[in-house]
Parts: sequence; structure tokens; C-alpha cells
Amino acid sequence: MENKSRVLGGLPEKALANIPGAKAEERIDAWWGLVIAVAAITLALIIFAPDPFRRIVEFVIDGIAITIVVTVVSFLLVLVVGLLGGLGRISRSRVLRGVTTAYVEVIRGIPLLVQLLFWYYALPQVIQGFGAAIGSQALATYRADPIAMAILGLTVGYGAYMTEIVRAGIQSVPKGQAEAARSLGLTYFQSMRYVVLPQAFRTILPAIGNEFVTLLKDSSLVSVVAVPDLTRRGREFMSMTFIPLETWFMVALLYLIMTLFAARIVAWLERKTKIER
Amino acid sequence: MEPIIRIENVHKYFGQVHALRGVSLMVNKGEVVVVIGPSGSGKSTLLRCINRLEEYDEGEIIVDGIPLDTAANINAVRTEVGMVFQQFNLFSHMTVLDNINLAQRVIRKRSPQECDRVAMELLEKVGIPEKAKFYPIQLSGGQQQRVAIARALAMNPKIMLFDEPTSALDPEMIKEVLDVMMDLARDGMTMVVVSHEMGFARAAAHRVILMADGEIVEQGPPDQMFEHPQHERTKQFLSHIL
Repeated sequence: MENKSRVLGGLPEKALANIPGAKAEERIDAWWGLVIAVAAITLALIIFAPDPFRRIVEFVIDGIAITIVVTVVSFLLVLVVGLLGGLGRISRSRVLRGVTTAYVEVIRGIPLLVQLLFWYYALPQVIQGFGAAIGSQALATYRADPIAMAILGLTVGYGAYMTEIVRAGIQSVPKGQAEAARSLGLTYFQSMRYVVLPQAFRTILPAIGNEFVTLLKDSSLVSVVAVPDLTRRGREFMSMTFIPLETWFMVALLYLIMTLFAARIVAWLERKTKIER
Repeated sequence: MEPIIRIENVHKYFGQVHALRGVSLMVNKGEVVVVIGPSGSGKSTLLRCINRLEEYDEGEIIVDGIPLDTAANINAVRTEVGMVFQQFNLFSHMTVLDNINLAQRVIRKRSPQECDRVAMELLEKVGIPEKAKFYPIQLSGGQQQRVAIARALAMNPKIMLFDEPTSALDPEMIKEVLDVMMDLARDGMTMVVVSHEMGFARAAAHRVILMADGEIVEQGPPDQMFEHPQHERTKQFLSHIL
């Protein structure tokens, strides 16, 4: 009777082998095929139709690097903001809760494009005005760095959504888990660090991965604030050559390879952290 | 003898509900106290006040000479007081071994070898050393609860609190948990147990306490409480469960 199914929690060991996630390995591999297929099409175009496809890729390749850098750096910062914001949203302090809630509500109510335009065009003006007021030459002649402002904009914008994801993740962990940790003498942060957040992270991993893929795509918005990313390089190429069909087809393929690849990595991570439960 | 737990005139409100109405209770070192009473009588709330999982609004609780006032004191008390929950609350992302080792490692700062040694000793004691590498979901309820007891014991607590430890268990698994608790009682552990397991109360308790409506109605040795209850409320409650 030891392995009889329990009211709370326990599944018999044999049943564990029948949980869908445990057998997902083969299915996951099938989706890698799509990544490879898209990559193969792209490669074939470059090799067998170098004009214009190879020319396009050679022109936009530095844009790909910038897209990746902007996305990855922003995403790491978004994770930090989301963690702090999520903890703030569930804080016992009314001030912290108020500040983080206001942040989430305000940011989610403004289009990301408008936010990016604000950080790049409006913020420097504020800084310059402030510099002039306090007589600081360095600030008065401040010039915005496009990439830094783009990363700031994406971080602030996506941080609000990540805050809500983290909050939901923490709240999805049964209260008894934190109580058990606290009853052993762990502090609030220790119980978060060792007990609550690891479980919350497993739950929200799909949502976090989704955010990464969406951020990768939305990073194309930074092309309007002077960042020479993949999209902007594509536009430059098109205005030089006037071959929009081939240009945007290739740019779309390049984005697709990156997003499909990222999605596979997320699925792999998910599988890796789930099986041991 | 100086009591190891002093609860003095504790009041607790949940909004409009007066959950504890001036409860006072002393528990001596090595004493096993079983708290019974109808649901909503405040017995779990009282238990959870002892390690301050529940805040109280009035009164004073002193555990092993430490008053539950500052955050540092509360944490100090918690490291000396083990707690076992109705729903086990094992950390579901950790193996049995890691469950038992976490607090020893993080708070007691024991070496990994020392942690493992203590954990395996305790798993031996609760009778499931072969489950060390399993995850909680792979264990039966009775096994999970025994791991939860081992996890609490790994901190070498001076006091153990049990909050309806067998209420979520199938009947055939209750005994394996009660046996472990019985061993603990025999070894001289100070225990406060919220439970309706009369067999355990009769065999292990030094004192049985009946709570109703946020107050202690009657207390005494198990024989007296079960055979010759004085209060109407006690008689009424016992007639329902015996």
C-alpha cells in the first residue's frame, strides 16, 4: 500500500513514467527540425542566389549582432527588474507595493514604441535642462547613446510585464512552503532564495521564455531610435537597392531562425527542470 | 521548574473574529501536551503563535527564555522549535535528503558530510532511509510526514509542534506517523500536539487541553480528561469524537 495515490501530492512511482512531460524528448526533437529547415532554406538562398541574398546578409550581419546584444542585455536587466518588482508587489510595505504597482500600471498603459521615443528624444532634453540649471557642463551637453537608451527603454518596458510574471509565480507557490521554511528558522530572503523562488521559477519558465522571444521581436522597434539593428540595416539596404521583397524576406528569415532557436532552448530548459519533480 | 514555553494572556483577532481570548499556558521541559477541541476553537492558531507564524495582538509568549518580540528573537526561537504541518509542506523541488539538509546547511552551517550524516541518521530513525534520493511527490503521505518530522529534528530542536499531523493521512498510514511521535515522546522531547488521536493522547500525553471558542476550557492528565471531564463543553466534545 506504500505507493497508493495520496490525497495530497503523492503519485505512485509507476504513474510518474506516464506523465506526458517525461516522454517529451522525441517530440521536442521534431521541432528542432523546423529550426534546421528554416536555416537550410536561408543557407540555400545565400549559396544558390548570392545576388541579392548573400549581399543582404553581408550588409545586415552587424545588425544581427546588435539585435542579439540589445536583446540579451535588456533581457538580463529585465529579469533583475522583474525579480525586484515582483518582490515589491507582494511586499508587506505599503510604499513598496504602491510604487511597484504604479510602475506596472503606468508602463503597461503606454505603447513600447512611445516609451522608446521618450527615452531617446525626451530624456536627454530633461538631463540637459537639469545640467544647465545646476551649472554642470557635462550634463548640459549630454548626448544620448542610442544603444544605451534602447536597452533602458526595453528594460523599463518589459520589466513591468516581468514584474507581474514573477509576482504570479511567487503567488503560485503554496503558502505552506514558505511557512515550513520560516518555521525552520530561515529568514524571509533565505526562504525566498532556497524554497519559494526556485519553485516559482519552474512555474513561470514558459512565460519567461515567451517574454524573451517577444523581446527579441520587439527589439526591432529600436530601429526608429537610431540603433543600427537588423531591422534598421534592412531598411538601409532596401533604400540603397530598392529590392524590398528580397530584403524583407531575408530579414524575416533571419528573425525566424533566432526566435525558433530561442524557443527550442526554452523548451529544453523547461524539460530539464521539470522531469525531476 | 521554569517552563520552557510561557504563554500569557494572548489575544488574537482575525478581522472581527476574536480567535484567541486571553490564552495562558505553561509547558514544562519534556512535557507532552495534546490540544483538542472543535474546529475553529483556536488550537492551531495558538500553536502557530508559539513560533510566531501567526502574529498575536496582545499578551506575551516566551520560549526557552526568549520573548517573541524582535525579528532576531523570533528567528532564534524558530531554530529551536520544530514544526510539523497537516499538509506536510515538504519542499517539492528538493529530494528528501535536501529537504532535511537545507536548514542545517544554511542556518547551522554544518558541512555537507555532517548534514548527510545527520539526515541519514534521522531517516533511519523514522524508518525510510531508502527514500533519501526520492522527491516528495514519489512518497506516500505517511512517508512524507515522517520526512517532515526528520526535517524538523535535523535542527536539534528543544520543542516540537505538531499541527494535526495525521489529519491528511489515510487511516492505514496514521500509525506509522504516530509511532515516530511516540518514540520522540519517549525520548523526552517537549511536544505540543494539536490532534484528535485519542490513542496517542492516552499513551503519550502528560496533559490534555480542551480549547473552545478561543479559550482553554479544561485541562488535565489524559485519564482524568477522558474518563471524568468536569466541564459540560468537554463532555459534549468528547461524546462527539469518542
